[in-house]
Amino acid sequence: MARAVEAQALDVGYVAGSTVIAGLDLAIEAGTFLSILGPSGCGKSTFLRVVADLLAPLKGSIKVLGDDPHAVRSRRDVGFVFQDSTLLPWRTVRDNIRLPLAIGQSRLTRKIDDRTEELLAMMGIAPLAERYPHQLSGGQRQRTAIARALLGEPRLLLMDEPFGALDEITRDRLNDELLSLWRRGGPTILFVTHSIAEAVYLGERIIVMAANPGQVVKDVDLRHLKQDGNRCSREDRGIVDMMAEMRSALEAAS
Amino acid sequence: MSEVRVPSLLLSVLYPLFGAISLILAWQFLLPALGVPAYIVPTPTAIVGIFAKSGGLLLSNLWPTAIEALAGFVIGNLAAVLLAIVFVHSRFLQAAYFPVVLFFNTIPVLALAPIIILIFGLGMTPKIVIAAVICFFPTLVNMIRGLGSASTNERELFRVLSATPWEVLWRLRFPRALPMLFSSLRIASATAVIGAIVGEWIGSDKGLGALIIQATFNYQSDRLYAAIVLSSTLSITLFLIVVLLERRIVRY
Repeated sequence: MARAVEAQALDVGYVAGSTVIAGLDLAIEAGTFLSILGPSGCGKSTFLRVVADLLAPLKGSIKVLGDDPHAVRSRRDVGFVFQDSTLLPWRTVRDNIRLPLAIGQSRLTRKIDDRTEELLAMMGIAPLAERYPHQLSGGQRQRTAIARALLGEPRLLLMDEPFGALDEITRDRLNDELLSLWRRGGPTILFVTHSIAEAVYLGERIIVMAANPGQVVKDVDLRHLKQDGNRCSREDRGIVDMMAEMRSALEAAS
Repeated sequence: MSEVRVPSLLLSVLYPLFGAISLILAWQFLLPALGVPAYIVPTPTAIVGIFAKSGGLLLSNLWPTAIEALAGFVIGNLAAVLLAIVFVHSRFLQAAYFPVVLFFNTIPVLALAPIIILIFGLGMTPKIVIAAVICFFPTLVNMIRGLGSASTNERELFRVLSATPWEVLWRLRFPRALPMLFSSLRIASATAVIGAIVGEWIGSDKGLGALIIQATFNYQSDRLYAAIVLSSTLSITLFLIVVLLERRIVRY
């Protein structure tokens, strides 16, 4: 199967002589929903930034969708969802979703179709289209941010603790909506989270990273615990046991 | 204990109106009763009277000051915005030249005005330059801060979207800076008028500044006060235009 991401002997750092990630080897199959767990400072978000070509590795190699990360970014094949939604306060919900259309349409090789109305309906925010971000709840803001990331139909969606600031009920609801989107032929998703329950519920595969330096210390395929389409219940025995196993791995990694 | 809630119309309109009217009444009746001579403080009705009597003269002196203040306001703020854009895109230029601008700002405008008049002569140009100089610095500082106020995530979002520096400037940095730009424009709406008047004090035979000087030395205090009222009206008008523009443009 084609690889969405392939990293070999990857060293990453922000300052010369100090590595956040050291010697990372990781292959992620296209179409996978991968959850990334780990303590603060282990390099989870840093890894997403390397994949998105926001940060260059110090050493080693990385291929994204079989290509150089810069080429992939230039083709707008990557979508990014941040923890704080990063909506522009001077744009309405509709205009925030349309932001990718306002950038590089005449210059970049891959043009983006205007799917704003479809995404507004898909994310359940059509009645809020003319509102400004300060008039939205946290969950509505994140729905808007996801819609914006999906506008360009990216083949790879990077999500950096997107639901970390939301209450439990909203988070569970958005988890289900995200899974439903992904099942409908959505992109490969790399999902960074601090929540063990969320990681196990969402991921087909989980990696646990440890800090100093950032490395993968546990890599588990969860497909045998789930039904077709990555379906499971949070109360399934296998899922509950896996959460306990992940907790132990996370404690060991911290 | 429950707080007594005051209706907002009372707070925002009626109370300030009461304050202003009570002070004008005190000025009209109390000051003459206390023996303050009219050549020092003329009454409000005397000032209104001079508008009726010498309206043409006052208006003919208002226009030059208004043109100088408005031109200085536009040129000074535009130059500040452009230089701020240059500075935020070049750390070298900012490090090299911002301290020079900072030093320039420490020179009192009254000390600078004669030099500007020496360079540009006695026409309208030096007054426009003085008004522009006085507007320039607060806007430059606020714009540098505003243009640099985009968060790391916002900058990363634009990189993910492969935005060019121009797109980052126009779609992110500039809208981010708008609230700070407007707060300095509100200040500049008053300082531009001050700049034009200071320029007219030093070398001019027309404009509100010149009228203020002439009225002072001729003991025409009613004319002096009328010129002051017009200066203030000019500042308030400019301020209101800025506030209206801000309400239309900055909606968040």
